[in-house]
Amino acid sequence: MTTVTPTLSRRLKLSGMLVGLGLIVEALTMFWPHPTAFLVFLGVGGLLVGVGVILYLISIATYSAAPSGS
Amino acid sequence: MLPSTLGFTAIVLVAVVLIGLIVLRPSLVQARGGKILAFLCLFVLPLLATGLGTAAQVEHSKSTRFCLSCHVMEPYGKSLLVDDPTYLPARHFQNNRVPRDEACFTCHTNYTLFGDAKAKLRGLRHVYVNYIGTIPKQIKLYEPYNNRECLHCHGGARSFEESELHQPIRSDLAKNTTSCLECHDKIHDVHGLANVRLWKEGKP
Repeated sequence: MTTVTPTLSRRLKLSGMLVGLGLIVEALTMFWPHPTAFLVFLGVGGLLVGVGVILYLISIATYSAAPSGS
Repeated sequence: MLPSTLGFTAIVLVAVVLIGLIVLRPSLVQARGGKILAFLCLFVLPLLATGLGTAAQVEHSKSTRFCLSCHVMEPYGKSLLVDDPTYLPARHFQNNRVPRDEACFTCHTNYTLFGDAKAKLRGLRHVYVNYIGTIPKQIKLYEPYNNRECLHCHGGARSFEESELHQPIRSDLAKNTTSCLECHDKIHDVHGLANVRLWKEGKP
């Protein structure tokens, strides 16, 4: 079982918020039939999702379990 | 709704709910199931959604509504409704010779997003010009209109191939050395729209 350190918890939350926000932005552009929508989809939505995913990968790659304390 | 749009919407809904769980309860990842859940909703589903969403956006870009969404293109949309059969785009649009919901894309298949890298960059520039730059008074194609767009449908058609006017120049048309528009020259003609009658569907 993994112990969730405060750092991991904070990074997961931030990553989740970025990815969630990015997906919501991407979804909103689907209702806007305009060339700018495509740019917002990739430039804002895609960027937020990308940063969120990378942050998640970094957080699990650099995770080190908290000392047991005993 | 397009399949890619439907798939995108479904994935986004599922991902957002699962992400909400992770954000509210990060301790879920302590267990193996939680780790899999986090991997799914923070890696697999977002990438899948963005891929499907991109496909959906590209499909949307083919729609007539999309092309005419910029103010500068409105006259070109209006020219599809000219009540005069000598107007080539209007004749194609009104007689369903091109699908009405993808009318622009059917005859301009290599424009901006659908062209090469250079064309894509032009598309980006169009967005910039639309908001910040100066829109030219007369819009022109960057390259001469390619006969390929006409021959895609007319090539091989009996009415086209057996036409006495087409037969002597058939190979030139195929090679693009003679343009179809040299004879069929009444295209969008947006500057003459103020003086023409417009067709209203269902009203003879």
